[in-house]
Amino acid sequence: MQTNPLLSSLESVAFMAALVLYLICAALYFIYAGTRKEWAGKAAWWVLLAGFLIHTVRIAVRGINAGRLPMTNQYEFASAFAWGIALCFLIFVKKFKFDALGVFVAPLIFLVIGYASMQSREIHSLMPALQSTWLGFHVSMAIIGYGGFGVAFGVSLAYVLRGKLGGLSHRVPEEKTLDLIIYRAVALGFLFLTMCMITGAIWAKRAWGSYWSWDPKETWSLVTWIIYAIFLHLRLRRGLTGRKAAVFAIVGFLCVIFTYVGVNTLLSGLHSYR
Amino acid sequence: MEDKTTLQPQNNSVNGTARKLLRFLRGMPFSFILLGFIIAACVAGSVIPQGGSAALYTQRYGASWGGLICWLQLDRVFTCWWFIALAALLCLNLILCSVSRFGAVRRAWKSAGEKTWGVWGSWLTHLGLLLMIVGFAAGQFLAREAVVYGIAGSTQPLGDTGLMVTIDKFEVALRPDNTVEQYTAALTIANAAGETQSGAASVNHPFDAFGYSFYQDSMGWANYVDIKKDGQLVKTDLICAGEYTFPDDQPSLALMFNKFYPDLIRQPDGSFATASPQLNNPYSLYSIYFDGSMVAMNLAEPGQPIPVHNYEFTMYDPVEYTLIVAKSDPTAWLVGVASAVLLAGLFLSFYVRPWEENRRKQHADESAPQLP
Repeated sequence: MQTNPLLSSLESVAFMAALVLYLICAALYFIYAGTRKEWAGKAAWWVLLAGFLIHTVRIAVRGINAGRLPMTNQYEFASAFAWGIALCFLIFVKKFKFDALGVFVAPLIFLVIGYASMQSREIHSLMPALQSTWLGFHVSMAIIGYGGFGVAFGVSLAYVLRGKLGGLSHRVPEEKTLDLIIYRAVALGFLFLTMCMITGAIWAKRAWGSYWSWDPKETWSLVTWIIYAIFLHLRLRRGLTGRKAAVFAIVGFLCVIFTYVGVNTLLSGLHSYR
Repeated sequence: MEDKTTLQPQNNSVNGTARKLLRFLRGMPFSFILLGFIIAACVAGSVIPQGGSAALYTQRYGASWGGLICWLQLDRVFTCWWFIALAALLCLNLILCSVSRFGAVRRAWKSAGEKTWGVWGSWLTHLGLLLMIVGFAAGQFLAREAVVYGIAGSTQPLGDTGLMVTIDKFEVALRPDNTVEQYTAALTIANAAGETQSGAASVNHPFDAFGYSFYQDSMGWANYVDIKKDGQLVKTDLICAGEYTFPDDQPSLALMFNKFYPDLIRQPDGSFATASPQLNNPYSLYSIYFDGSMVAMNLAEPGQPIPVHNYEFTMYDPVEYTLIVAKSDPTAWLVGVASAVLLAGLFLSFYVRPWEENRRKQHADESAPQLP
């Protein structure tokens, strides 16, 4: 596909800058965790914000260069997935004043964008089935949903490792607050995962005439949905809280990761866009 | 006259068992058991190839495991009886749960100082899910599907629908790099009364006519074939890739059109491929069959005669054909409504009356009535 070399270079630079900033951010959060130095925590926050803004620019530039929403292959989606986690992280940190959350979430953002860096960055034209407005809604919902689950995963790790964090322990909010953040993040993720599945079904109906075809991605999205539905039921109706809830949220996120990476690489189907 | 003194305890016992059963069927533990089985079925259905022959599973997993897969119907998980039974039981669970909770939710809603729509969230979520499963299941029985394929200018009946489909035009829009931008088929649909509707079907843009949606599904290449016997033309046919033709007086002799290469190239490993979708170097891969056995296989360019004894096959004028799938799903609207109800329920549950806030209030005042 014909692309603008200047925009391609700009996108590459922005991507590398975001990657490096997320790495620095993760390192600063580790320093913050290990040394209790306030400046490291504050610097990590600003570095992450800078990484997020540059990452946003990269997505916009790629979108302009490709002439479409840049969320249609492994590289683009992994990059957007990292962006979604960063966005949810920024929102939750601001809302719950939990700076130390970055110790658990920043490495995850780096890992996901690192995975993106290992994929082909070539811009391909879209096959006809992918040329749909619904694609934008569908993938955007997935990004926010996965971002919410990613934050829940990070907070759950904080909960589970709470007693083993040494000097960081006093920076982690009390258990009730952690529990509330896990719930809020899962609720956000669940709502958006539901919207992702519904918009995907509408799109599939327009493209293939069938809104549900038990494609491996659809099936694993359903598995993920059921796992989080059980989590929410147990929490809201049976008072599941504490360590058990945190472990449940971690298992749920492993399912999200399999739905995203495992299904794309191990199982073939309509969503196997490399 | 009944001896009430002896029957009463027995009735109480039966009623008690029925109540326990009902409580179990509408309860959360039962739904978790069902969801656990559904998860297991989904994992099996995504890992084990679906819809294969028994031989495939024997070859892939060995005789014992292959046999077990087929016996458990794991080769067609999502349509087997036990998966349908699981879905039906989940529906029963949702119905009983929704019915039993309706009164309590309504009371809570009415008793609230100012009406709090959020109390309906969980109930609506369950209703949405129930409608979705029912709509999907009904769609499996009521939806109709028919396929038609052909080249531009052809008219064919659409299965047993009573409709006739004319493919007026078929276009493949290519980008400068030869990737496909869009497939578009201009169609005219006629019903039994002679009424017609015309429109275009392209990928992501189905054409709706006479209660059906017509989808541009796929395309391929077709060839005209002349069959000569002793130099005399005895038959002209049009066959798509994967089809065969034969002389009417010699049906044991057949030419199969296997594959078409619009721009044939030979790859370094010796295999054939097409460099582009343009007709720059067209070749057709064919096979000759006699008495059911393949006796020859080769490539032929358009117009190149293929002699077999006193017969001669000639493929020419390669042309693209389109495959159109027509679908009618009378329950799709129900699934749409169910989706909206489900989303509304989730939104109300999570954001209009946050449970955490309710719980906090309950902690503050343990005497407060508990909302369902």
